[in-house]
Amino acid sequence: MSGKASISQSSTGFGSGALSHVYIKHPPLRCSIPGSMGLFYDDGTKLLISTTSTQVFSWKTVPFSPLAAPTTDSISEGPILAVRFSLDEKLIAVQRSNSEIQFWLRETGETFCQKCKSESESILGFFWTDCPLCDIVVVKTSGLDFYSYDPASKSLTLVETRKLNVSWYVYTHESRLLLLASGMQCKTFNGFQLSSGGVIRLPKFEMLMAKSEANSKPVLADEDLYIVTVYGRIYCLQVDRVAMLLHCYRFYRDAVVQQGSLPIYSSKVAISVVDNVLLVHQVDAKVVILYDIFADSRAPISAPLPVLLRGLPRSNSSTSRSNGRESENSETSNANYHETIIYGDDWNFLVPDLVCDVANKLLWKIHLDLEAISASSSEVPSVLEFLQRRKLEANKAKQLCLAITRTVILERRPVNMVGRAMDVIVTSYSLSIKTGSYFKGTKAERRPTGVPNVNNPEAGTDVSVSQTDGRGKSIKFESNSRHNSGLINRSSTYSASDSEDTGSSEPLKTNLDDTPETQPSSLQPQTLGPVNNLVNHDVLEQQETQLATPAISPDEMYKFVFAPVDEEMVGEPSYLVAIILEFLRSANVEKVKVHPNIYVLTIQLLARSERYAELGLFIINKILEPSKEVAFQLLESGRQNPQTRKLGLDMLRQHPLHNDYVLLLVQDGYYLEALRYVRKHKVTGVRPSLFLEAAFSSNDPQHLAAVLRFFSDFIPGFRNTTDFCAYYRVLSEMNGTVNA
Amino acid sequence: MGLSSVSTTGEGLLLCVFDLQRGQQEGQELDKILFFYPADLPFSTQLSVIGLSEGLITFTRIFSPEAACEVIEAERHSHVFYEAEPDIWMVMVVEKNKEAEAIWRIDALKELLKEVHSLFMLFHGSVRGILEKEPSGGLTRSHLYPFIMDYLRDFFIGKKLQLPSFRDCLKERRTVQMLTVGREAAIEVQTLVRILESCAGNAHCSSLILFQDLLVSTTLSPEDTINLFTYAVLRLTPHALSSGVSSWSYLRKGYSSSQVAAGSTPAPPGSVLERFYGSSDTSPSGDDRYQVIRPLQHGRWSKGKDGFLITEIWGPDVGSLDLVTPTISLKQTEERMYLCVYQYKSLTVILLIPVSSILNGEQGVSVVKQQILENASLKILKVEEKLSKGWGGENAYHVSGYRYLLVDDSRDISRASPPGKVTTLTKESLLALNKLREEVDLEKNQAKWDYTVHDKDMEMCIRAKNNAWVIARITRGKELYMVLEKANETLLYASDAVEKFSNRYCNGAFSSD
Repeated sequence: MSGKASISQSSTGFGSGALSHVYIKHPPLRCSIPGSMGLFYDDGTKLLISTTSTQVFSWKTVPFSPLAAPTTDSISEGPILAVRFSLDEKLIAVQRSNSEIQFWLRETGETFCQKCKSESESILGFFWTDCPLCDIVVVKTSGLDFYSYDPASKSLTLVETRKLNVSWYVYTHESRLLLLASGMQCKTFNGFQLSSGGVIRLPKFEMLMAKSEANSKPVLADEDLYIVTVYGRIYCLQVDRVAMLLHCYRFYRDAVVQQGSLPIYSSKVAISVVDNVLLVHQVDAKVVILYDIFADSRAPISAPLPVLLRGLPRSNSSTSRSNGRESENSETSNANYHETIIYGDDWNFLVPDLVCDVANKLLWKIHLDLEAISASSSEVPSVLEFLQRRKLEANKAKQLCLAITRTVILERRPVNMVGRAMDVIVTSYSLSIKTGSYFKGTKAERRPTGVPNVNNPEAGTDVSVSQTDGRGKSIKFESNSRHNSGLINRSSTYSASDSEDTGSSEPLKTNLDDTPETQPSSLQPQTLGPVNNLVNHDVLEQQETQLATPAISPDEMYKFVFAPVDEEMVGEPSYLVAIILEFLRSANVEKVKVHPNIYVLTIQLLARSERYAELGLFIINKILEPSKEVAFQLLESGRQNPQTRKLGLDMLRQHPLHNDYVLLLVQDGYYLEALRYVRKHKVTGVRPSLFLEAAFSSNDPQHLAAVLRFFSDFIPGFRNTTDFCAYYRVLSEMNGTVNA
Repeated sequence: MGLSSVSTTGEGLLLCVFDLQRGQQEGQELDKILFFYPADLPFSTQLSVIGLSEGLITFTRIFSPEAACEVIEAERHSHVFYEAEPDIWMVMVVEKNKEAEAIWRIDALKELLKEVHSLFMLFHGSVRGILEKEPSGGLTRSHLYPFIMDYLRDFFIGKKLQLPSFRDCLKERRTVQMLTVGREAAIEVQTLVRILESCAGNAHCSSLILFQDLLVSTTLSPEDTINLFTYAVLRLTPHALSSGVSSWSYLRKGYSSSQVAAGSTPAPPGSVLERFYGSSDTSPSGDDRYQVIRPLQHGRWSKGKDGFLITEIWGPDVGSLDLVTPTISLKQTEERMYLCVYQYKSLTVILLIPVSSILNGEQGVSVVKQQILENASLKILKVEEKLSKGWGGENAYHVSGYRYLLVDDSRDISRASPPGKVTTLTKESLLALNKLREEVDLEKNQAKWDYTVHDKDMEMCIRAKNNAWVIARITRGKELYMVLEKANETLLYASDAVEKFSNRYCNGAFSSD
């Protein structure tokens, strides 16, 4: 776990000196097609599309695999301005001109056209939607057209039209949010969310634009506007080139609220979102700055560093030879990779976490280097908070959290600070329990698969975004957590991207019910898919990709933190006791149940340093909650300290563990008390011979007689046992000697 | 036996400390005497008391070498013996006087001797140790005299010395009273304990936390806990600081500020005695020959601006304006510790720092104090708030219908009905219970010498003359004493009452299994 960091570092092609928080990994998805005329990305279906004059090649980007083979569709020749697959991938829509869109049915190859009615308006773009109102939305300079597709007649029907002046628009399928710019400066916006609940119209609002001079009025361009979905919330980021700021707006159902600004250091900026972390690429400066817009803080989580290319073969000669026929090909492509210019001019950033190198026809997926990020900050509680919010690489985040926690304890950092770290871990666990995400990973197999939204015919092999769409969503809106079990069932096998979809498919929230804590963990099932399997240390991760959350249960805290730390730690164990106390305090506040093994460890630690006075207080005040395990540890530790042993006995009695208690009473010589206890609590399964033996060794015939009498009454048929006979004889002998 | 010849003066009490190893030669008998109260008694009388005691000890040792006599009951007096250290004996002679309610329980008096000696050890170390340091005995006398006198002063009511009598039979000296806290508060308290410990760096500190006059947490051994707890309740807690306010703790029964003046009464005026004891009670820090600190002196602790308690008892620090931080020695480790006391509202936090771990003396201590202020004060605030919220007032542990005393011998903890409630009992009930307790004491003491492996269990139920039930029940080291007045007459009722009490308040420890 802790060794992982070094492994992954060495696997980078740039040697260990390279420092980064974000990386892209070799090999990329190669999408070069001979005769390619255009490269498109359809964010609705997450397909990368390359077109030739008569063919459409499409690659699935989710799950991201460099080996993905393209699917080919034939279309008629003609200009191609845009290509989008319908959400169920049954139709292909191709924009032919600013007035015409052509449709193909992929199964039959049938085709039909949709044209603008008026000459004055032109089509700005179009997209497929899953809102109940319509199937496809066409954005024109004069407004919006909502069409529904009728499979029977194989044609579009106009459902609704909205008249608006539109200069340009921005839409992401992830957020289902459509922003329409208008006005002189293009800074007045009309917004619609085409959610599963219907079309929500947002209040009209204006973006901030700083003026460079009194008279010049900068015009906002569509490349300066980014719709971003993090933690299930929708933000809009707007580049203000004059002020060199990135303004941040948050969308609510009934309001758009400006929420601070981020500084930018480059005239060209791009935005990615990886696992809910906001990546602001300062393209000119060739660095990326990371923000975790969860709390109010707008401080970056790490220093600006470049993006790293990882996993590149070290030398061409050694690797490419084995590739046989392809060797030549890979020679050249490797050369390409070497020439891969990070933040080159040809880089196109795709929503949410892809980069397309248009010149080299390469598609890269952006990854976070959680190790590097966590290593870059010494503020442990906030690092843990950050890691606990990660869903994409939940297992890695979890392992990192465990390693960090172990380290701070071993380094004996101030108790206050470690206490805050414990708070973070426990709170996160408690949240994951409440939302149910903690159990998802482990219980995935047991979930019934008949969840309504898994109705895709391809469900066995292929996943398409349409799965999450339609009916599933409305259910989800009502009960996030329960429904998510179905989602995770799928996403654990497949991909991360549709989980992002689900996050965004949640309709906009109103101001009032905005409680950030309740959203993230349930909405964002993870995972990493088979992306990483090229580097061997990831194999382990892949096996455990079922984890839905990096939350750490108390049991895991014991197994992976307290127990190993106890073994490694030298010197006074009181520091570890202090840390465990902090953990218990957090757990108590969050009402998280603590496994007795932590209590047992605490007793061992206290007993080891002979702090019996405190141990007594811990037990009496129930800081260590009573249980069988605790009782037995008290008895064990009480060998050196009778008071402690007594506490253990009392706990057995109160718990109640009748048989154990009775047995110990007999061992201690309190056999008559034990009998009374047996009678009162009707303890069955006691062995009379133990009591008889004890009474016999006391050499008191009265006691022996009493015990015999007791069992004669208590156990039917006792008089016929060998025990009775033997001790009856002994008793008469004793009486004989007394009488004599 | 001539015991009656011993006059106990008007106050009905003689108290002496003497060393059997000293003054064995003819003519040097005075050397034996380390302390005598009243000090103004002629030496001849003092010597006759000590001589008698010595004779009894020597005589009884013939039969019981390990435990010589514990008590001699004469017609008008009780002689209580306590061997505080090997051959250092404390003997108390009390006058029996039924009219003056001078009815004692011997074990209670013995506990008193134990207490004063333990406290002495806490501050000055063993008597033998001081004797070895200065064989003439002057140093020892000059330590013992003001210390015991300061201690006894707490028992003066008006001008009369009032020792624990039968009226105190629902109290147990040499035990600790604990505050019952919920789990959440307990965790907070324990985290505070850890923070306190970390304030002194690598030094192995100990701490004691009190809320009002009740113990909340300790990291000391039981014995040291009792000593420090006793001292805290006597002199350090908010109640003790504002002396004069009536207290509900048994430890400070009658003391009020008006007795400070009366305190000078027992001082031996000038002359031979003063030279003998080397101390005149009136001088604040002993006399010129010996620098003697008087930790039990009243009204010498006060709360400083920073929340730490300060006292001039230990004198000013040489070369600085600060006061010397008190030091004590622990019984378990025999380690010398700095005593730092921080007080916030009802919460008293006592931190003990090993002297050996602090290299630059006072300066080092103030660094630790600074650390506490920085790191722990917030937590202290929080803990105080939590405890105050859960605190039920001084009658918190009252159980209506019952007057009880609960003692956990193995943990040296006791809990009792609040004194205000005990006073409602009639004299008959109290006398009956006193008698019952004496019986139990006897049984217990016998069992102690029987070397039986396990604690003796017993149960006694007495119907007193005034028709009250007086009950004692002892189970595996736990003792329960109870008085039920105006109760039903059947024994079944009484035993049911115990059962109920046991189940509700003692986790069923006294339930007849």
